[in-house]
This record gives sequence, structure tokens and C-alpha cells, in this order.
Amino acid sequence: MQRSKIFVKKTKKGSVLKVVREHYLRDDIWCGSKTCDVCLQQAAILEESPELESNLCRQPHYIVTDTNVVLHQMDILEVPVIKNVIILQTVLEEVRHRSAPAYKRIKDILTIRDKHFYTFTNEHHKDTYVERQPGESANDRNDRAIRMATSWYQEHLDIKIVLVTDDMENKEKAKKDGLTAYTVSEYVKSLSDSPELMDKLALRTSDKTTGGKAKFPEHLPLSEIQRGIKSGNYMQGSFQASRDNYLEANVSVHGSEKFDMVLIQGSHNLNRAVHGDVVAIQLLSESEWSCPSSLVLTETEKEEEEDTPNKENILKEKKSQVPKQPTGKVVGIIKRNWRQYCGILQPSLIKESTKHLFIPTERRIHKIRIETRQAKTLEGQRIIVCIDSWPRNSRYPLGHFVRALGAVGDKATENEVLLLEHDVPHTPFSQSVLSCLPEMPWRITEEDSKRRMDLRHLDICSVDPPGCTDIDDALHCREMDDGNIEVGVHIADVSHFIRPGTAIDKEAAKRGTTVYLIDKRIDMVPELLSSNLCSLRCKEDRLAFSVLWVLSQEAKIIDVKFTKSIICSRASLTYAEAQLIIDDKNRTDAIAKSLRGLNRLAKLLKKQRIESGALTLASPEVRFHIDSETHDPIDVQSKELRDTNSMVEEFMLLANISVAEEIFREFPNCAMLRRHPEPPPSNFEPIIKAAQSKGLQLNVDTGKDLAVSLNDAQLADNPYFNTMLRILTTRCMMQALYFCSGMLPEADFKHYGLATRIYTHFTSPIRRYSDVIVHRLLAVSIGADASYPELTEKKKTHALCFNLNFRHRMAQYAGRASVGLHTQLFFKTRVIDEDGYVLFVRKNALHVLIPKYGLEGMVFLTDEKKRSPFTYDEQESIQRCGDVEIGVFDHVVVQVSIDRSNVQHQKLVLRLVQPEIPGFSVPSSGPPSAKKMKMDTS
Amino acid sequence: MAEVLLSEAERTFIVHGIQDNIRADGRSCEDYRHMELETDVVSNTSGSARIRLANTDILVGVKAELAIPASDRPDEGRIEFFVDCSANATPKFEGRGGEEFATEISNILSRAYDNQGSLNLKDLCVIPKQQCWVLYVDVMVLECGGNVFDVVSFAVKAALHNTRIPNITVHADDNGRTELELSDDPYDCKRVDVHKTPSIVTVSKIGHFHVVDASMEEEACCLARLMLGITEQSTVTAIKKEGSGSLDPESIYDMMETGKRVGQAVNATLYQKLQEEEKLGPNKRKAGFLG
Repeated sequence: MQRSKIFVKKTKKGSVLKVVREHYLRDDIWCGSKTCDVCLQQAAILEESPELESNLCRQPHYIVTDTNVVLHQMDILEVPVIKNVIILQTVLEEVRHRSAPAYKRIKDILTIRDKHFYTFTNEHHKDTYVERQPGESANDRNDRAIRMATSWYQEHLDIKIVLVTDDMENKEKAKKDGLTAYTVSEYVKSLSDSPELMDKLALRTSDKTTGGKAKFPEHLPLSEIQRGIKSGNYMQGSFQASRDNYLEANVSVHGSEKFDMVLIQGSHNLNRAVHGDVVAIQLLSESEWSCPSSLVLTETEKEEEEDTPNKENILKEKKSQVPKQPTGKVVGIIKRNWRQYCGILQPSLIKESTKHLFIPTERRIHKIRIETRQAKTLEGQRIIVCIDSWPRNSRYPLGHFVRALGAVGDKATENEVLLLEHDVPHTPFSQSVLSCLPEMPWRITEEDSKRRMDLRHLDICSVDPPGCTDIDDALHCREMDDGNIEVGVHIADVSHFIRPGTAIDKEAAKRGTTVYLIDKRIDMVPELLSSNLCSLRCKEDRLAFSVLWVLSQEAKIIDVKFTKSIICSRASLTYAEAQLIIDDKNRTDAIAKSLRGLNRLAKLLKKQRIESGALTLASPEVRFHIDSETHDPIDVQSKELRDTNSMVEEFMLLANISVAEEIFREFPNCAMLRRHPEPPPSNFEPIIKAAQSKGLQLNVDTGKDLAVSLNDAQLADNPYFNTMLRILTTRCMMQALYFCSGMLPEADFKHYGLATRIYTHFTSPIRRYSDVIVHRLLAVSIGADASYPELTEKKKTHALCFNLNFRHRMAQYAGRASVGLHTQLFFKTRVIDEDGYVLFVRKNALHVLIPKYGLEGMVFLTDEKKRSPFTYDEQESIQRCGDVEIGVFDHVVVQVSIDRSNVQHQKLVLRLVQPEIPGFSVPSSGPPSAKKMKMDTS
Repeated sequence: MAEVLLSEAERTFIVHGIQDNIRADGRSCEDYRHMELETDVVSNTSGSARIRLANTDILVGVKAELAIPASDRPDEGRIEFFVDCSANATPKFEGRGGEEFATEISNILSRAYDNQGSLNLKDLCVIPKQQCWVLYVDVMVLECGGNVFDVVSFAVKAALHNTRIPNITVHADDNGRTELELSDDPYDCKRVDVHKTPSIVTVSKIGHFHVVDASMEEEACCLARLMLGITEQSTVTAIKKEGSGSLDPESIYDMMETGKRVGQAVNATLYQKLQEEEKLGPNKRKAGFLG
């Protein structure tokens, strides 16, 4: 039986095309129910007697859903109790069309055996296919198709069929056709055994909801937005809420030369946009343009209705002479990018109330209003919430509860939050990935040794941080007869184990990088590889990819060779151990000689690098000492840097550069490289200004100039000044990025920070996927491995780079957040006075850095009640109080403690100790170090 | 066209029969043969029709496309004809053999349709000077069995009647630029009014008399014929004389009169049949090409 589906569409060129698709109907599609003996089916999915007690429908029944239910109430469908659901093909196709994430979720459910979800291909069944009728909209046709399939099932099976729909019209029509139909909330309410499901109901309210005056302007319909964008009246961009001020946001405009960042201020102009959304904005007239306020605003706990106008006035008042930025307002939403958010419930004032506010962990997300009856149990728990809608008359977006993670402050919970918030894939490796692993015990085969260079006779050793189990690099160095030096960098040959296109390869490409948290490592590849087979452990034969240089005594490269090899490391050293060996004059064995040679060459290399303009930047890094029993941090230290750190680093840089040159020569179009763009001069303005306030000139014309002026910038009375300046300079930098060489002109390849023309990542394939790709490219270029189509496809590499860049950024953020979490745990039992330095001066706060803990925080100058004793000098960014002046870089002493006033929401609080301001600063609790001693002994 | 070889006796028989208003197959001089008509036979066209008359088999497809209006007629759409003589029709069409004949057909179709009265081309304009619909009429001669011109014109008319042009809404933004929006309902479309479109009636002079719808044998006896584009309202929109023989003015007048009379009736019948077919709706039995 053949039908044809006919529709007209407009092509990009503007012509109209009539498309005809053949559509075949069949009479052998089975119904999928175990009770049916008419259909010739194998392995029916729907259970014989579905057990789901519903007050509305007491007999056993199957559920048929409407498209809207799948789109919006996925959290309900995912609950294990909901079983025996028939998902119609009509529904599935509509969902795929409307929302990719929802489609993926429903597809996932369909694969779970225990859920008994069955896809019925009603569009191809001869009895359930419906043709669109004149005057019928596509939606109406689909609804009719759903009803048709439902009634077919009803006639076909003895079991009752329940149609669940949120579409009132559809429900009415279904009732008229003699079907059983309920809305989702009716049905879920009737499930007497599982009352907790009610919380997961998505709150859908149309814009027409009654009651409450509209608090926001209406969003324009999509068609109008598109027209507006075409005509240039509106601009499209991604919405980025400010971290510090909830009434402010930036929109980075796509494809406009004139304005790349547009400021949005005030809740009216923000108009319900949520961080991450793609929005359409309209520029305000130039007279209304504004500048970002230096105010730090957070949504306070008890915010009254009238509160906001006041705050908005604060924003408006005092428009100074600071150059104004293009300012606009949101007129419509092009695409919502809502995800699930972690956070906590805000304690409700009324105990029995079911309406609650949810406070997300991410500061850039608004509070969300949810309905739950389990508020009591959820108190003190981290929970996940999903936004459903944001009607015009609601101050907050409406959402629903998804699941609870665990108690607030519990480390496992907090780690989970951290990983979820940064979108780090952290589920255990699937069976298909694990089945790609080589069988144990693993040995190097004949085949391997034939094709590899045997370097087991060399005195190779590895140098890593203490406790490192994924050793991916090892080094050696020896004098040659002609006076030159042979240096080798040996990198774990991960690409030998991870073959392109396998499940393990896909998983690694998705994860992109290993994520290091303080007390946990989320591996990119399974542990067997990362900590054993690929890890260059000492006294074990391992496969490696080696870069062998011949260097002159002045550390100039004479020759370079790449080869796959077999090595056997003599020793796995820590930085400290290696340093000891170098310093120990009595040791003259091969390893000591090798290390000394490497160290000498590394110093030469570093000098060359710095001469060509490489920057030495700083960011505060800390190490936690973790209590072995409670796993709580007991001490914090800044990381120490030794010569050996920089020794390893120099050779890794050298290897990366040599490899980058080689793969770019061989694959000019598809080499995976890493670049670090030069920041635009405007990025440096804040630090130039800050340095000027201390009477220093910074020259930022080139990397070299910057490096020199940073070296010269010293203040006698502030030894930490130089480091701070470097920390601030780091923040002016652009992100370093992976890219595909065919996508950019060669001039853009350069790495600004390292002052090199070309760069890539080659040396850590165990923990970075980019290195795996680079390994493959290099292996192909030296003829050691075969190529495969995706490797040389520019577009594929480009897409991969995009994912890797995203994962790396997220991994970095997650790492930082983990440090933050541990800092907070550390201060749980402590109140300490510490030395700090002012990084920024805000209108109502000081941004302070405490070097000892690498901790940054705000010292708020105003309270809810109190006025600031300081006056703010915007011109020079100085806070004055009497004769005390606080500006950038100034030394302060602050008291660090945990604010426990809110049990659910503990946060780190900084209070000013010195300079003393009567009535504002808190009394000193003794000299910092002495205090700490006391705390430790107690 | 296919060669028909006639003996002198056959020829005389035909001519004499026509004198007595009775033709070899029993028709009178102004009768058409039996025709089979089906519309909507090619689903990916905007409109299509197929007509079979004796051994002549014609398939017509209409395709509506957006284009820029001609500069001398900024507020009108266009109709363009293209005829393809398939080599299946007759071995003579092989290679470029059918080209001349094809051009001949498309020329007379263009001429017959090229007037204000028959098609309202203003209806096909979307935005004056910017966008209009162009109807590309593609004629396929599948089999040649005599009287091709007439059958082609009937099939064109039927295909135009079957044509559905999607409705378009025009939005203008503030800068005067326009945007076209297509309705997503496939049933939301407009029709072409074929009430006044012409059909071609070929009147063949045989002996001292003339006939319409000449059979292959009759065509072999005919030295001169007149092709008339005639509407249901009896308006003559095109006229063309063909053949080696000459016609005197009086007989031209007579032939035109016959043409008008027959043309009016044929148009009316065709229109009526098209309406009847449409009433059957989407559930009609389709013959297609296998029936």
C-alpha cells in the first residue's frame, strides 16, 4: 500500500519546491503487547498485566502519550514506576523535530528493558495511518493520528488504554471518540502509591494565565524576531548574566562588527532571559546607554516586591563620565538553553507551604520557584531542579524538582554538584568501552618489538608530582662522541591502545580530558590504561612514542627524530627527589648525570625562550593536606616550584613545538594545533591603570615588552606586588585554544604566552584527547601507522577542537571549584586572620586575594542596614575613610570565617581587620600563624 | 508522423464518405473520437494530466516556480510551453527528429494563450516588479496517433485545471524589503481558472469538405488544414494554416465556423468532465500508467 506525503517548502534560494515522498503502509506491524495473540510478534515488550495502581483507572492499563507530555514531562516518564508506555512514531518524530535533548532522553528510556516502553510505528500501520485533511493544521493531524492509534489499540487489545495529554482540545476530542484520556497532573495525582511524583510535574502555564499583573514585557514571536534581525533592527546573541550583579548581563552579539558586546541592565530589559539563552535584543537610543555598575548585587534572601525598583534606582543613579557602552534590551528569546540546575531550597517562611524557592549554585541563574511537598526532607539537601517556563506575571522562573543529590556539605554530594554544574561526564565507563581494553596479563608481542625501536638500554627516568599514577612522560639525556648531546622525550603510546572509531575512542573524545579534583580524578580513559599499561612505570617495559634530539652544548637543535619505541624507565621520581639527586654531589650514576645534563640544557632553553618574549605568569596554586581518615583538608600550602619542575616543562615545550612543526608540514590542512591569541590592547587597560596608581609604567606593545616591564615592576615595600601584577596580567590574557590548521591563516597560529610561532599538545595523551590525535597524525607522518578518513577531515577536526576547548575550560573551572570547596571545608572549624591584597576596588566591596590559600573573596563595605563608612573615588578606584585609603595592591588583614547564619547556605566571609576602621573593622584575633597553631592543636 | 500508405481506392472511399457526412469509423464530420482523460498523474508536479485519443498519448505536467516578472509586464506572471517528442512516439522522433514538430506545437500553444482574455496572468503576480509565478507547461508526446495538436491542447487545459499553486503571504518590513511566507498547509493553495483558456481544433480539408479530429488515414488524404485556438466562448485566439494545398477564402470562413462550433462544444464538455472528476475527490480510483 503506497501513499505519498506531499508538502511544499521554500528553499534557501527563495524558490518554492514541492516535495513528494513515498510512504508505504504495512499490515504486519505488531502491537508489542504480551497479551496479544493476533500479531505475529517476537519478544513483545509490553507486560501482560501492567501493575500501576491509579485511582482513576483501577484495571491494568497501558499508557499512550501525547507529544507535549514527552517534550515537557520527561522527568515523570523517567521515573521507574511509570512502565508500559506506548510511544507512537508520530510523537517520536515530532519530539525529534522540536527538541534534540528530549529526543535523546526518550530514546534512552526506550532502550531500558525494565521500563517496558514500546514504540509503535503507527504512521506505517495500515489501520492507523491518517492523511492530512484540507484545512487541518499539522498539529491537529498529529493529534488525530494519536487518537486514531489509541482507539486502534483499544479495539485490538483487551487491556485498557489510557491517553495522557496536556492538550485540553485533544482530551475533549478523545473523550468524544470514547477513549479514556487524562491530563498528566490528573493521572499522576491518581497514582496513590507514589505521591512524590507530584513534585516532578513540570509547571506549564501559558502566557495568558490569569491573576497577577504582568511584570515583564511580552516576548516577540519568532517570525517577527527573524524579520527584525534581517532588517537589522534586532540583533541575535548569547546571553551571559553577570556573576556579580543579578540585574546586569552582557549579550555577545553574533556576526556584527559594530557591537560585539551589548550591556543589558534592569529586570525589565533583561526580560526573563536566563544565562546561556540565545536572545534577540534591540539597542536603546544612545542617550540611554549606560556603563556596567561597579556594584555587587545578589538576590537577597527576603526580597520584597518593592525592593527591586530601589535597586534599579541604585543602578541608574550616578551616571558618571566613564565611557558608556552600547546598551540594549531583550525583545525575544530565540532559543532557551535551560539545563538542570543544582542548588538548595530556600527555607520557606510558611511551614506547610508547597511553594518554594530554589537557589541555584551557579550565581548567574535566577532563583526558581518550584512546588514540592517534601520540603522538610529536602531541607539541607542539594537538589536538582529543571526550569519549565517563565510566565510574564512571575518574578521567578517556574520549575520542578528532579532529584536529590545528598546532604549539603557532604563531600561526595558537593563533588557531584561540581561535576554536574560543569557538565563533566563522570559516569563509570560502559561495558562496550571496557571491552576495548587489552586482555591481562598484557605483554609486548613480537609484532610490536619488530616495528619499534628498542630503547630499553637507555637510562630513562620520569619526574612527576608526588602521588602521580598516570605517568605519561619520561626523559633521558646522554653525551655523544662528537660532543653533542642526545636528549629524548618519551611519551606513553596511548594511540596504540585507543584505536580510531572504537567505543573507547569515542568515549575519550567525548570526555576530552581527565578532570582533576582535589580528592578525585575523573579519568578520560579507563584506569587499566591510565595507571598501568600507558603509565611509564619504572622497571617495566612500556610502549612509547619518542622524540629524540641531537642538541649542541648551547641547546641548539641540530637534528630531531620521531619514533615509536619500547622503553624501560629506571626510576619514577618526584620533583623533590629529582632535585635531591641533582644537588647531591656524591651521586655520579647514569641517572644523576642524565638529570644534571637535562637541567643545564633546560636553563639554556628557558633563557632562549624568555629572550624571545615568553611570559612568566602566575596564578595562585595550592595543595591541600588531606586527613587520611576523614578526608577533610587539614592544611593548605602554596605549591612550591623547584628547578626540576621547570626542567620537565622546558623539554615538554620543546617536544610539543617540534611535533607541531612536523605535523603541520605533513598535514597543512588538518593538523591539530594549539594557539594563544594576542590579547587586544584594551584588555590590558585595567592593569596599566593599576600599575600607574603605584607609579609604574607597563609597556604592553609586544609580549617581549610586557615580559620586560613585568620583570622591572618591583615595589620595595610590597614583595608580593610583582606576583600580584602577574596574576592580574594572567587575567588579561585570552584563552589558549585548540584549532585545526586548515581553518586559520598561518599568521594566527602563534602562541603568545610561549612566544612561539606554532604549538601543539603532544606530551600528555593519557589525560588529553588532543594529544591522542596529535600522536596519530605524527604516527601517520612517520609511516608508523595507517591514516583513517576522519583524521584528515578538516570539518571533523574543527568540530572536535570545539568540544575539546569546551571540556578543557569546564575541567579548569571544575578544578577551581574543587579548590574552593576544600577551602570552605578547611575553614569549617577555623576563624583565621590572614594577610591579603586588594585585587579590585568595587563601589561597595573590596576584592581581596589571600595568597596563602590562593583564596579570593569580597569584603563587603555595606550591609543591609549599615551604610559604608567609605567613600568611593571612581576616578582612581580608591575607597576612602577618614585618612585611610584603600586602593589596588594594598595590603590588608582580613578575618576568614564561615557564615553559619544560614545552615543550608554556608559561605565564606571576609571581614576587614587592618587597616582599622572604628565601627567597621573587626578586632584582630591574634597573629595569624600563632592562631593557626592553636587551632591545629585543639 | 507515422506514414500511412493508402491506395487510390481507399482514398476515394474516404473522400466520398466525408461527402456524405459519414467517415470510415462511423463518425460524422464534426465528431471527435473517444478520449480517456486522467488528471493528477504525476505527483511531484503542481498539476498534471494525461489524455489518450485513439493511439495518441499525451502527458502534460505543470510546474509553478517563482521568478522575476518581465520588465514590460511587471504585474503579470508568465506561462511557458515546452514540448518533448519522445522517441517512443514514433521512430522519426529519434535523435533530434522531433524537435521541429515540438517547436511547432509549442509555438501554436504560446500563440493561443498569448492574450489577455484566456488566462488571468495578473493573478500570478506575487509582488509587482519583484516576484511572480511562472507556469512551466511541459508536454510529453508519448505516442503519436494523429491529431496531436488538439490532444495536446486539451491535456494542457486539463493540467492547468489540476494545477495547485501554494498560497504565499507577503510581509513587508520597515525598510521596504519583503519576505515571502509559505503556508504549511498543503491544501492552502490557489487554482488556475481555465474557463476561458483555448483549445486547438484542427479542421482538415478533405476533398471539398472538412472534418475535425482527422484519423491517420484521413490526414493522409488532407492537403490543407486550419488549426484554430478556440475558447469555450467561441473566441478565436490563434489561427494557423498548414499543409501543401491552398484554401480559398470562402472555405476558410466555413472551416472557421465549424471550428468555432466544435471548439465551443469540446471545451464545454472537457470542462464538465474535469469538474466531474474533481468531485470524485482524493479517493478516486487511479489508472496511472499501468491501467
